[in-house]
Amino acid sequence: MMGTDRMLKILQRQNRNTLTAFFLFGIVLGMAGLAFSSAPLYKLFCQVTGFGGTPKTNVVRKAISKSAGVINVRFDANTNSDLPWVFKPEKQKVLVSLGEPKLAFYFAKNVGAKPVTGTASYNITPFKVAKYFSKIDCFCFVRQTLEPGKRIPMPVEFIVDPEILEDPDTAEVKTITVSYTFFPVVQNDRKKS
Amino acid sequence: MRVGQGVAMGNNHEVHPSGWRRWLYSTNHKDIGTMYIVLSLIAAILGGSMSGIIRLELMFPELQFIQDLQFYNVMVTGHAFLMVFFVVMPAMFGGFGNWFVPLMIGAPDMAFPRMNNISFWLLAAALILLLLSAFVQGGAGTGWTVYPPLSNADYHPGPAVDFGILSLHVAGASSILGAINFIVTILNMRAPGMTIHRMPLFVWSILVTAFLLLLAIPVLAGGLTMLLTDRNFGTTFFEVAGGGDPILWQHLFWFFGHPEVYIIIIPGFGIISQVISTFSKKPVFGYLGMAYAMVFIGVVGFVVWAHHMYTVGLDADSRAYFVGATLIIAVPTGVKIFSWLATMWGGSIEFPAPMMFACGFIFLFVVGGVTGVALANSGMDLAWHDTYFVVAHFHYVMAIAAVLAIFSGYYYWIGKMSGRQYPEKLAKIHFWLFFAGVNILFFPQHFLGMAGMPRRIPDYPDSYAGWNLVSSVGAFVAGIATLLFFFIIWKTFSSGGKVQSNQWGPGATTLEWTVDSPAPFHTHEELPVTNSHMPAE
Repeated sequence: MMGTDRMLKILQRQNRNTLTAFFLFGIVLGMAGLAFSSAPLYKLFCQVTGFGGTPKTNVVRKAISKSAGVINVRFDANTNSDLPWVFKPEKQKVLVSLGEPKLAFYFAKNVGAKPVTGTASYNITPFKVAKYFSKIDCFCFVRQTLEPGKRIPMPVEFIVDPEILEDPDTAEVKTITVSYTFFPVVQNDRKKS
Repeated sequence: MRVGQGVAMGNNHEVHPSGWRRWLYSTNHKDIGTMYIVLSLIAAILGGSMSGIIRLELMFPELQFIQDLQFYNVMVTGHAFLMVFFVVMPAMFGGFGNWFVPLMIGAPDMAFPRMNNISFWLLAAALILLLLSAFVQGGAGTGWTVYPPLSNADYHPGPAVDFGILSLHVAGASSILGAINFIVTILNMRAPGMTIHRMPLFVWSILVTAFLLLLAIPVLAGGLTMLLTDRNFGTTFFEVAGGGDPILWQHLFWFFGHPEVYIIIIPGFGIISQVISTFSKKPVFGYLGMAYAMVFIGVVGFVVWAHHMYTVGLDADSRAYFVGATLIIAVPTGVKIFSWLATMWGGSIEFPAPMMFACGFIFLFVVGGVTGVALANSGMDLAWHDTYFVVAHFHYVMAIAAVLAIFSGYYYWIGKMSGRQYPEKLAKIHFWLFFAGVNILFFPQHFLGMAGMPRRIPDYPDSYAGWNLVSSVGAFVAGIATLLFFFIIWKTFSSGGKVQSNQWGPGATTLEWTVDSPAPFHTHEELPVTNSHMPAE
């Protein structure tokens, strides 16, 4: 038979091992949790820093002061091949006063036979100026449904922060390109052919 | 319950399960280590054959053997997955780790023997899932990086990629359980006097690797789960149409993928340190520097992942950071290289097969390290990204270097594991044949890459002919060397002479050389007491 002391020792070691194992398993769960929260965190990170050309969308209008400077804004439009739409900007390019809200229009027409819902992804190039480009309101914030043959204007209201001239990284930028790509809204029960 | 186990541990020493029960139900670290090594040998035959098929097709321009190009993609993918998850990791971490970590720290077994069993059998199940994926609807031709959109339901509509994802999930679970087991064993079950700073460097390497697995695998699991739901349940984590971003996958994958390459090579560092110290008959030079260099490589390995994605449109500041962080890793790896050389310096050096493989490892690792420093610069990488230069780089630094470390460890420890002497002359021929083969195989790929030959293509313009032929010839030389290795295994077990408990003499100072050869079923039942770095002296 084993002495009580030795049994106690084995018991203590087993407990210590189990405790360490649970601690390590906690690390695993923590990392898995971080991995799953990466999608919202990545989105948040892009919105806060303008990373990858993500423009600001939650602006406080008053916070942006006016300035004498101007900047060119170009409009780019793309359509996913699965979406039977013709999607174009009203003007290729506008001159915008810094710090002043500006309204611009795109037009989209459904050339397909069925009503389709689309949604647009968007970004700003050069990426580094995205943090100074704010969208006050945009057709890209909501889904758009078009009946067959119907053509509608799609407005976007934006403002360029005069801070862009103060930042040594972005002062040299003369032209900002705003780009949209329209996609068909992905159905949850989609069946790919 | 636990008390009962304790009593059983104390009283049933002579019970030896036999037949299939000994293996299927095994809770013995040596038997489980052996099973890991056998599994890695089986996977090596499969993964090696796939690389043979790749090199056969690439020998000449135009398509000769493969008409179905998806099949080529499946070969590339299968080769990578098998070699990473089912050859190198099981051989070094699961195989040598299980065999020698308890022996080296003076523990009777691993902390959780039953969990050890499930770790192994999960890996076996994962291997079957991976093989299944190659046989259903064209197979998974995604590359080991599984980037969407190629891996999404548009381009891989069948269940092959789903099988691959499940395989990685199961293999990941196996690795996590194994890692927890190693960490608990190393932290809690060292023999009296075996302080953290007296542990052999191989044990340090397994400890660092286990922590890397613990932190990296869950991130892969998270990403894979998102990909699985994107493919099957209509989520859009990586699909722009639904507001997702395929670049997020690349961030998640490489947050796992970069530590993964250190998971592959760090146990190799440990093996090489033991071997060089043994055959130089000197303690390893700069022990603490060697140990903490591995820790440092592990830590920094988690903050350099975007150097795999310089071309995705990262801004200049981010790239500058990732260039700098990546270059810093050259410092601790340099510490290791020079400490190995300093260990040999002035030593009474012998060159049996394990030492030859260790020296070969240093050469390959330095070549791959130098091209790595070049590739770390984002300006250079923009030109080299996805060319054969990258293929040559990572095969040198982590693939064949890791395989040389495995061979080195195998010849070093096979006497302890089997009790038999390997045929020395054949092993030396094996070394020269394999070393020459892999260099002929991979060195010309630097030239091809610098000339712009892209990775993952089954055909190429005529201007890349020539070096591709040389490379393929090297592959077949390395293949013959590998066949010779299997012959050596057979020869060792069929006619190898018996070896002493310490076959390597005064240089072998770690605790595994104090037990009989072959190591008995149960070892260190009386905990050995350690007073120095060289407990077996």
